[in-house]
Formats: sequence, C-alpha cells, structure tokens
Amino acid sequence: MSEIYKQLSTVVLSGNVDKTPNIVQKALIEGMAPKDILDNGLIVGMNEVGARFKLGVMFVPEVLMSARAMHAGLEVLRPQLAATNAKLTGKIVLGTVKGDLHDIGKNLVGMMCEGAGFEVINLGFDIPPARFVDAIKEHQPDIVGLSALLTTTMRIMGYTIKAIEEAGLRDNVKIMIGGAAVDADFAERVGADGYGSNAVKGVELAKQFVGVV
Amino acid sequence: MSLSKKLPVVIIACQVLQNMLERLLPNGLAQQVTFMDYGLHRVPSKMTWTLQDAIDAIEEPSLVVLGYGLCGNGLDGIRAGNHTLLAPRADDCIAILLGSRQAYLREFEAVPGTYYLSKGWLESGSHPLKEYEECTEKYGPEDAAWIMDQQYQHYERLVLVTHSPADMEKYRPQAQEVARYCEQWGIRYEEILGSDEFVRRLVEVAAALDKADDNFVVIPPGGEIRQEQFIQ
Repeated sequence: MSEIYKQLSTVVLSGNVDKTPNIVQKALIEGMAPKDILDNGLIVGMNEVGARFKLGVMFVPEVLMSARAMHAGLEVLRPQLAATNAKLTGKIVLGTVKGDLHDIGKNLVGMMCEGAGFEVINLGFDIPPARFVDAIKEHQPDIVGLSALLTTTMRIMGYTIKAIEEAGLRDNVKIMIGGAAVDADFAERVGADGYGSNAVKGVELAKQFVGVV
Repeated sequence: MSLSKKLPVVIIACQVLQNMLERLLPNGLAQQVTFMDYGLHRVPSKMTWTLQDAIDAIEEPSLVVLGYGLCGNGLDGIRAGNHTLLAPRADDCIAILLGSRQAYLREFEAVPGTYYLSKGWLESGSHPLKEYEECTEKYGPEDAAWIMDQQYQHYERLVLVTHSPADMEKYRPQAQEVARYCEQWGIRYEEILGSDEFVRRLVEVAAALDKADDNFVVIPPGGEIRQEQFIQ
C-alpha cells in the first residue's frame, strides 16, 4: 500500500501527466480510499514540489508540469471524492489582485482546495477590490484567497482587504494570502488571517479556517 | 556631517546596470565595483545569500551601494554588519532602467501585463523566446509550448527599454524576433527610451549620503534590509 503512495508522490513530483491518472486508477481498483490517495500520495508529492521550488532546485516549468499531473490525478478522483465528501468543506472565493496577471499558483491552490472538498469560485486574475467585495456579497464564502506574485502588486492586497472592511464584510470571511512576494509578516501587516507559503500550505490553512483538519 | 566621506564606497550591482554605472561613476568614487551575474533574482533566496556573502567579504567598514531593487524580495533580510548599505527604493530593475519609480508605476498602471526587455536581458538570454528554446530542449516542443502558454498567455505588451537611439537600433532586431514569437498571445511590441536618472541619483547619493531622499533605502551598521522599507 505504501508502495503505491510512493509511486503517486513520485509521478506528481516528476510531473508525469500520463502515469499519474493511471496510478490513481490502480489505487482505486485496489480499494484504497480516495481521501488517502489524495492526502498520502498526490499531496505528498506536491508538498515536495513546494519545498524544492522554494529552495531553487525546481523551477517554474517543472512546477507547472507537477501541477498538471496533480490535476490529471484529481480528475480521476473527483467523482469519488464528491461521493465521500458528503458535505462540502466550505466555500472559497479566489483571485489574483488587480494589476497582477500571474495565476499559476492561485489556480493550483484552487484545484487543490476543490480536491479537499471546498467549493471554489475562481474569479481569475487582475481582479479589482470592488469585484472581491461583489463576489463576497454574491457567493457568501467562508474564505477569500488573495494572490500576488509581484512586490509591485502585493500592496493591492492591503487595499482589497480595506475595501472588504469598508463594505462591512470583513467579519463574514477569513482572508488568506499567498504568492511569491508575500510572507507571514506581510499577512499580519495588511490584516489577513493567514498566509500560505505554497499550495499545500494554502489548503491546510483553508481547512483550519473552517475547522476541518 | 556626511558620514559617507569617511567611508570607502564599494559597489555591488547586477550586470543589468553595468553600462549605466560605468558611464556615470566618477573616477575614484568607488574603491571596488563588482557586477554580479544576471538573473540572481530568479531564486530570490539565493540572491540574498550571494549578496550577503559579497557584503560580508568586505573587510573595511564601507558604504556598500547595492545596484538592485527589492527584486522579488532578494534584498529582504540582508544584514549590514559593519557596513552602511544604500539601495534604490525600487521593486526591481525596471524602475531603475526607466529612470524612476514614478515612471515605472505609470507604465505599470497603463499596461500591467508588460514584459520588459533590455540590453542586459537580451544579452544574457533572459526572454520568452530563449526560454522556449531551453524548454524545448529539455521537455520537447509540445510540453514547452504548453509551459510557455501557462506563463505568458495573459501578457499584453513587450517593451524594449534602452538608453540611447543607437542602442535602440542595435537591439531592435533581436527584440523584434522575441516579439514575433510572442505574437501568438496577442502581445504587441513597443519601445521606450529609458532614463539614467535613477542611477545618476544613486551615484550622487553614494558620494554624499545626506542627499538620500525617500527614493533610497539606507541601512546603518547593524541594521537589516526589510521588505517593508520598499513597499510605500
């Protein structure tokens, strides 16, 4: 059993988009629980991707291919996960802030949050503060996730949180931030509830926010 | 009081600023000038260690001028030690190449999705076309094309920044080759004549530290560069 987990984390780490769904399928046929396949296999691989990227031993192209492999694995798991996650874990509105068009990390967080049972409303990139406010009103999420890659745009996170406050919605949502430019100190300074240093950490944070650990 | 008069000046800068610095540095101002490899910012944590090592290797207490912006937090956490540190308050080299933070913000607000090319970046092969070629070699054409799509599909504009009409002529063909490759994403090509004002001011401030205004970050001995000093 642990052998198949190892295989799963390895194919995600190496970004093998063909093998990942096959091994997920094989694991399901062997009767393994979808949640275990996700948590002990795919996510373990993705966690290693996050760590290696931070250290500079893995670069954007490899991370992209790992994300694609992860996505292919999740696609196979999705119907099974939906059946086992009887109730949705929570709802997340996600977007890259205004002026920033980088969405690779944010999409990865979205995809992995879906895997963890969240309903994800992905607003896209270059999203002005007012659109986050409107989306909170419309979707009433538990969590808002803000992303920024650039130091130029990270300040917009602060403006976005301020707009949410001014709309009187701040107490309705937990706000998490992520992206290459930001860190835990910055999250505190702009009044976010938390910071995820990579996609796996982002999902863990979202789960904590809604009391699922 | 000019403390800097007593301190020898040492410059550690990215190669991307080499031409401008060499042209603008008065003879004898800097005891030592070191140009570091392009592209340290690609792994900001490595940039931090590399620059820290270079600073720590300076024996005599000095005014160390860093020819860098915050560069993806590459400067964040750098400790001054016995030295005084001076850096332009810029997110990255684009503001420095354009001449000021204001000039950069103007361009940024006009078209956030802009990819900048400069003489340095073209010469060091840091541009989407080169990246595509490298990815193709490593992962094959199909995956390479997908990887490039993922990274560049939202960009709108490719801008060549140079500092003289002659350089514009010289680098235009190479920039246009990159531009032709980027047309697949609807990216348009433009040219901007940059300004050496930021580097000129940096050199002035290096000669007289009391001239530092809020366009510069100055860290006294024992201090540390923090991201928030750059985020106004």
